[in-house]
Amino acid sequence: MTERALRQRAATPSPPLALDARRASRATLIILLAPALLLYAAFMVYPVLRTFWNSVHTIKPNNVPAFVGLDNFRALLGHDWVFWKAVGNTAIFAIFATIADVLGGLLLALALFSRVPFARFLRVVWFTPVLMSYVVVGIIWVWIYDYDWGLANVILRAVGLGGFEQSWLGDPRTALWSVMVTHIWKWLGFNMIIFLAALYALPVDVLGAAELDNCGWFAKLIHIIIPMLKPTILNLTVLSFVGKMMIFDLVWIMTGGGPLWSTETVSTYVYKRAFDWNTFDLGYPSAIAVLWFLIILVFIFALTQIMRQRERLEF
Amino acid sequence: MARVAITELSKLYDGGGEPAVKDLSLTVGNGEFMVLLGPSGCGKSSVLRMIAGLEPITSGKIAIDGEIVNEIPAKDRDIAMVFQSYALYPHMDVFNNLAFGLRRRGIAKTEIERRVQGAASKLGLLPFLKRKPHALSGGQRQRVALGRAIVREPKVFLFDEPLSNLDAALRVSMRNELIRQQREMGITAIYVTHDQVEAMTMGHRICIMNKGEVIQIGKPLEVYRNPANTFVARFLGNPPMNLIPTSVEPDGGAYQLRVGGMSLPTDCWPAETLSRLGGKALLGIRPEDLYETAQRPDERRRIAIARAHVIAVEPLGAETLIILSLEGAAEEVTMRSGRETRLRPGDNATIELDLAAAHLFDPKTAQVIPPVHEEREARWAKAE
Amino acid sequence: MKPPSAVEPSAAKGIAYLRGAPLMAFALIYTIVSGGPFLWVAMMSLRTTPEIFASPYALPSSIHWEKFVDAWTKSNYGTYFWNSTIVVVTAVALLTVIGAMVAHCLARYRFRGNRLVRFVILSGMILPPQLMILSLFQILLEYHLYNTLTGLIIVYVAGHLAITVYILEGFFAQIPQDLFDAARLDGYSDLEIFWRITLPIGVPALFTTVTLNFIILWNEFLYAVVLLTEDDKRTLPLGIMHFMGNHQLDVGMVATGLMIAIGPVILLYAFFSETMIRGMTAGAVR
Repeated sequence: MTERALRQRAATPSPPLALDARRASRATLIILLAPALLLYAAFMVYPVLRTFWNSVHTIKPNNVPAFVGLDNFRALLGHDWVFWKAVGNTAIFAIFATIADVLGGLLLALALFSRVPFARFLRVVWFTPVLMSYVVVGIIWVWIYDYDWGLANVILRAVGLGGFEQSWLGDPRTALWSVMVTHIWKWLGFNMIIFLAALYALPVDVLGAAELDNCGWFAKLIHIIIPMLKPTILNLTVLSFVGKMMIFDLVWIMTGGGPLWSTETVSTYVYKRAFDWNTFDLGYPSAIAVLWFLIILVFIFALTQIMRQRERLEF
Repeated sequence: MARVAITELSKLYDGGGEPAVKDLSLTVGNGEFMVLLGPSGCGKSSVLRMIAGLEPITSGKIAIDGEIVNEIPAKDRDIAMVFQSYALYPHMDVFNNLAFGLRRRGIAKTEIERRVQGAASKLGLLPFLKRKPHALSGGQRQRVALGRAIVREPKVFLFDEPLSNLDAALRVSMRNELIRQQREMGITAIYVTHDQVEAMTMGHRICIMNKGEVIQIGKPLEVYRNPANTFVARFLGNPPMNLIPTSVEPDGGAYQLRVGGMSLPTDCWPAETLSRLGGKALLGIRPEDLYETAQRPDERRRIAIARAHVIAVEPLGAETLIILSLEGAAEEVTMRSGRETRLRPGDNATIELDLAAAHLFDPKTAQVIPPVHEEREARWAKAE
Repeated sequence: MKPPSAVEPSAAKGIAYLRGAPLMAFALIYTIVSGGPFLWVAMMSLRTTPEIFASPYALPSSIHWEKFVDAWTKSNYGTYFWNSTIVVVTAVALLTVIGAMVAHCLARYRFRGNRLVRFVILSGMILPPQLMILSLFQILLEYHLYNTLTGLIIVYVAGHLAITVYILEGFFAQIPQDLFDAARLDGYSDLEIFWRITLPIGVPALFTTVTLNFIILWNEFLYAVVLLTEDDKRTLPLGIMHFMGNHQLDVGMVATGLMIAIGPVILLYAFFSETMIRGMTAGAVR
């Protein structure tokens, strides 16, 4: 053995590969990671990059894509009032539905946490809508909102408030809110379960200490439980908000964005511009998708920054 | 300050099973420090939580200063509790942890300030008032928990194994701190622990519990010296009391105890009780009441001599534990000996049993057989 | 909203009961709100449309089981159901295997690029589907995967890998390293370790991701609506939409169609409610 080889060996005092279970041979890594990485490259990374590329082109069927620079974005931001309408709708949806989701979920969880009878059964029933597809939920609620025989109007008439009856989904003033109610209905159970888990993870002794410190249930809720649930509340707010910025399915199924763009969201507008309008241009909707993604990223970043600043709570 | 009277208290948890607490009666005097001692799961924490009002009572009564509090919610009982987990409010700094309970009771700001500062300075917490619990060490958190109870100046302190999460050295100093605070304030305290050292050193009285029932109540040394049954005998003392099966044999008008090849006189115990034992008894003798022949203090008169075989020697530094098997008997016994002992495993030794300190238990009921009194008293009088 | 933990025997019990009454009322109302619509659909599925229009909220007077046969035979329901089954079962199986392989690597091994791989894969969780859907449409067209179940399966697997890896890695990382060291000393190879230690121990986590992916994919709508247009390729959610479109006014028939779609989910949920709840919420609890 040459001196050089010896020196090299001395320089690498690491244990023999086969005995360090934190290391794997290159072949192992390739076998385990390759399928995922190839799939990702072809069907996630490439599509994302291609959408970015699309966004600066005009792409019509049977035509060579034409580079248009930032024209799509300029048109979008400058004089596409449908886009702005969609942004407004999506923002209203994201803000109000998120607040309702989080507060409502907390309320449901507290009801179960306060040892209401049959809590286990109620928990299961209240969660059911979460499991149903948007198609099923959407169709059922289209019926509920039906002007003639839908439950909403039937109840109003029954309690003598017939004057308030609406064509809930047909009237631009109520359509967005009606869809929102359905969306909240579908997801309340989800937030409830997360809150319930967090409530049960609260240290029993701290709640006991609060009782000895002269707290009734309401004082305990305000001074102890909600402050201690803060991480969960923030977490669910982010999750819920980001989810709603991407909302598509339920709107598409219930109203298709109508009437008069009153329920148009950014996502439904992307879909329409790509597949329903006779412009047949994939470039412009790609620009919308890219812009919206960047905005979502900013929100995620900002919200997670807020969450990071929160103080650690150790029980 | 208050007197806590518990009458026939029982607790049954949902889901059935054995009751966690069975017909427990106990009175804690004004300013008294009462320790509830027992193995984990004996129901002592349940008793505490019922006194606090954190758990519903199945049956029985709890009265504070003569007023039955069964139906008074926890918040109105004016009781402060220190929890094993400390139960500090994680989102509040130390000052607010201490002040929260006072604010909730509508106490004036200046008074809150005064009390919190007072407690914090007593407990050495002044530098940490602006810190949150997660930035404190275990000992500091423990002091905050204690402080939170102190500032309240409640009628009753409840302690639920408050020292069990501390390391050994801290535990000793916190123990003394806690005793000092309680004695200074003169507030009635009920302290739950499974640690016999805490029980022996802290309480005015100890209440020993097992399986939800009171086994024995008394002053610490009283209970140590006169265990009511084999449970107490084994539970108090480390190493525990030796319990040696013996046979009770008639010898003329009197009785003799036979352990292996050795016979012991029974004049410490009334003959008529011995006659009812059915020939069997458990002889209880603490390791410190066994002596190597040479080390026996001369004044001990009532001595039995036994031959034994040394099985193991465990030097602990200040003392040495010797594990022996008595000749002709299967049981192993532990003897506490000085550090200068010469005994080695495999040796044969002659040891002496201080019969005046021995106890006799009925193996059927596990209860102690009360000794003829004068003999006992004389022995302790001498020892003290 | 905990009731006071103090005791409430006799007289006090009555007061506590009164205090509990609003809570009970709330629980009852929300139970009707959340479960009622499904019961309503179930009732309508057994009634004919004229009956429904006569009285939408009545109980079935005579039960029309034959509607289920009609719905199944007169539309393409069988095909939709079969398509959904193929797509979801294949995608979930692939997701589980591929996801577990990646999660094992990330949780177990230190290798160069570890952080990069993790970042790339987990960033998939925040990519909105809209960002990929248009170019996926183009790409699948170019690869001749448009309007094929294979194409949809691939897209599903790529799209849900992130959450799968996220959940599995969290679980795998908690398996004690000693176990792997011991296996290594016993002469197991890396792949054997994956197969014989990580996977068997990880069964609960695998079960969770299987449940989660199954429910989400069974209900998936957006990708399917963009990537499938032929009727005999449609998955169940698309099929129901299509059915709804064709029978707009035949409410009774659509209700039967809905019942066929939600029946299996309700049935599974009745038996495995805990598992399904845990599965659906797995990614959100940290």
